Amino acid sequence: MTKIETKDVNLFYGEYQALKNISLSMEENSVTALIGPSGCGKSTYLRLFNRMNDLIEHVKITGEVLIDNEDIYRKGINVDELRIKAGMVFQKPNPFPKSIFENVAYGLRVNGYNDKSMIEETVVKSLKQAALWDEVSDKLNKSAFELSGGQQQRLCIARALANSPSIVLMDEPASALDPLSTAKIEELIHELKKNYTIIIVTHNMQQASRVSDRTAFFYLGELIEYDLTVNIFTSPKKTQTENYVTGRFG
Amino acid sequence: MNHLETELSKLKQELFEMWELVLSQVRTAREAILNFDKGAASEILFKEKMVDVYELRLDRDCEYIIALYNPVATDLRLTLAVLKINTNLERIADFAKGIAKYVAKSPADSINPDLLTATSLGDLLQNVYTMLADAKKAFEMENSRKAVSIFAKDDFLDEMHKRSTTIIANYMHLHPDEFEESLNVHSMIRKIERMGDHTSNIAEEIVFYLEAKVLKHSGKNKTKGIPPKS
Amino acid sequence: MVLQLKKEYTERKRRSQNLAFWLFRLMSMLVVGILFVILGFIIIKGFSVISWGFLTKMPTEGMTSGGIFPAIIGTLCLIVGSMIFSFPVGVLSGIYINEYLRNGYTVRFIRMMTNNLAGIPSIVFGLFGMSLFVNTMGFGDSLLAGSLTLGLLTLPVVIRTTEEALLAVDDSFRQGSYALGASKLYTVRKVVLPIAYPNIITGLILSIGRVSGETAPILFTVAAYFLPKLPTSIFDQAMALPYHLYVLATSGTDITKSRPMAYGTALVLVLLVLVLNLAANALRRYFSKRVKMN
Repeated sequence: MTKIETKDVNLFYGEYQALKNISLSMEENSVTALIGPSGCGKSTYLRLFNRMNDLIEHVKITGEVLIDNEDIYRKGINVDELRIKAGMVFQKPNPFPKSIFENVAYGLRVNGYNDKSMIEETVVKSLKQAALWDEVSDKLNKSAFELSGGQQQRLCIARALANSPSIVLMDEPASALDPLSTAKIEELIHELKKNYTIIIVTHNMQQASRVSDRTAFFYLGELIEYDLTVNIFTSPKKTQTENYVTGRFG
Repeated sequence: MNHLETELSKLKQELFEMWELVLSQVRTAREAILNFDKGAASEILFKEKMVDVYELRLDRDCEYIIALYNPVATDLRLTLAVLKINTNLERIADFAKGIAKYVAKSPADSINPDLLTATSLGDLLQNVYTMLADAKKAFEMENSRKAVSIFAKDDFLDEMHKRSTTIIANYMHLHPDEFEESLNVHSMIRKIERMGDHTSNIAEEIVFYLEAKVLKHSGKNKTKGIPPKS
Repeated sequence: MVLQLKKEYTERKRRSQNLAFWLFRLMSMLVVGILFVILGFIIIKGFSVISWGFLTKMPTEGMTSGGIFPAIIGTLCLIVGSMIFSFPVGVLSGIYINEYLRNGYTVRFIRMMTNNLAGIPSIVFGLFGMSLFVNTMGFGDSLLAGSLTLGLLTLPVVIRTTEEALLAVDDSFRQGSYALGASKLYTVRKVVLPIAYPNIITGLILSIGRVSGETAPILFTVAAYFLPKLPTSIFDQAMALPYHLYVLATSGTDITKSRPMAYGTALVLVLLVLVLNLAANALRRYFSKRVKMN
């Protein structure tokens, strides 16, 4: 079932065109990887889905961006609600300077929930889903900054999951982490995809091949190829794609 | 268990299924020739298609694992070993099919038991079967000593194959009306010898996987350097 | 030949490094030295006058004896008064400029204006304060007029430090908050401000120092020459330490007799600022700790 789709989307930062006619659709409960060299538009594309591009000046978007068949850029859409539906994890772990518990609870409090037991329950559930519970269950009141980088990133994942999104947007979630933490996060993604639709931007092709079902290759704002990950990595259709995945350029 | 380990485990499972299938082909081929059972023979011919399917699937799955997961060290050797064992199994099944084809297509209803006894055809096939079964156990239990023990049995097959020419020639003198059968049996012995070779290859791949030691083309010194089971 | 040149070069480099090092050292020692000299001077000359009575009594006999209590109270009132005005206005402006206005002409214009405001001489502030608060608005010479004038004086400082404090908050925190569906206001209240508090308090510290020592702005707006009673309302005039110091040192009834008191006043003023700074620093540290933990 198609969960996310873009139709002929173009995005301009002022005069500069960052996305050119991108049409792409993603299935529910799947992992889609966006790969391509730096500056090819993959992060920009990712940020369409929670309208984080709105925070930048002089951004113009044409085309349709559909989640559950609804254009999320049409007038009247509540952006804050959209961001509950599509959670985001950033490249550099960015836990708030609060306790571990309060970090995860933040999203709930933002959206007006203050039932103590419900918040507690959700925090525990999210930490378990992010495979962090065992490591922090005895220190929920400690500062989030006392955690290691890999743990902080999993905390950010838990924080995003607390809002019960249906989509998780990951912008190079492991690029700032060591290999062991990266492996943990990748295993996490395998688990999460059972219940969430995940889009992950990564400049690490091996990561894309390990975790994703489908891969989209971007270059200079264009979508060059989009296919099942196995096909992209065993027999890509476009030469450009092959050159990129074999490391011959980019 | 992480994702790659799960995939490798599935790969091994698939290989063992193919292995079982090929073992049953060999066993049935023995019955088919010893009892000249045309029914068994056509069963083998039918199942041959499944063997081919397994071969293609395993080829593809190995390719996917290498492309998607960049396995290294043991994982890489395992994937490469599966790839090669897969090919050898298919060849063995192919030879079994050859035997079955003869039985199925032969206008006769039986074969002279003296011919079978003289050439020890039954024993030869039993030997191959045992080798193949041992190899599977060696792989399952990751026991390289067991894998190495197969080479000796292959020597037996080579020996018998060498002698078979003389044995068959003598038989043909005594039974001049059974020229065709004799020649066919001779060809079967050749096939069996080849099956033994392929099973030896499989054993070499198992040792490569477990010990990272290449035994190919190392002649008779095959057991040198294999550490005891740790 | 080349080796010889290299040796000479290395030697020259070493010598010039040494020279520079000693020059820098000398300069910084000079700075520290000057500070100690000033403090020492004041302490030595003023110490003899300090007593409990000096601190708590009214001035008597034409300010040649007695205490400086009203001046102390006056200065404290002015500090508090100016804070009440400059802090909320300054911090909220800083928040508006940095968080709500997108970078553009407006922001640059406001920043330029703030800088200009900071550059206006303090006596001009005094004149302005007299004209607006004392005369036009009719407050007369009063704590109110004085506090407002001093508040205006420190406003640019507070705005600037607030802006710097907010700029220093890494944008990734804001992004993280927005991505969870928080509004800008919520983000500012719950994420940005808590992180920025310690540095905003710095603004407070700087303002305290400035306000307690400014003489010119209070000259025409609040300072009384001789008022041996405490102010009872904001419309009252009051004495203040810096002005009192000036009076004692230059135009008192008997200068030589009141000279030691002048030094005493100076010492009290310095100590007052020191104590307030320490308190503000403690506050800053408290907020720093809370930043990690709330």
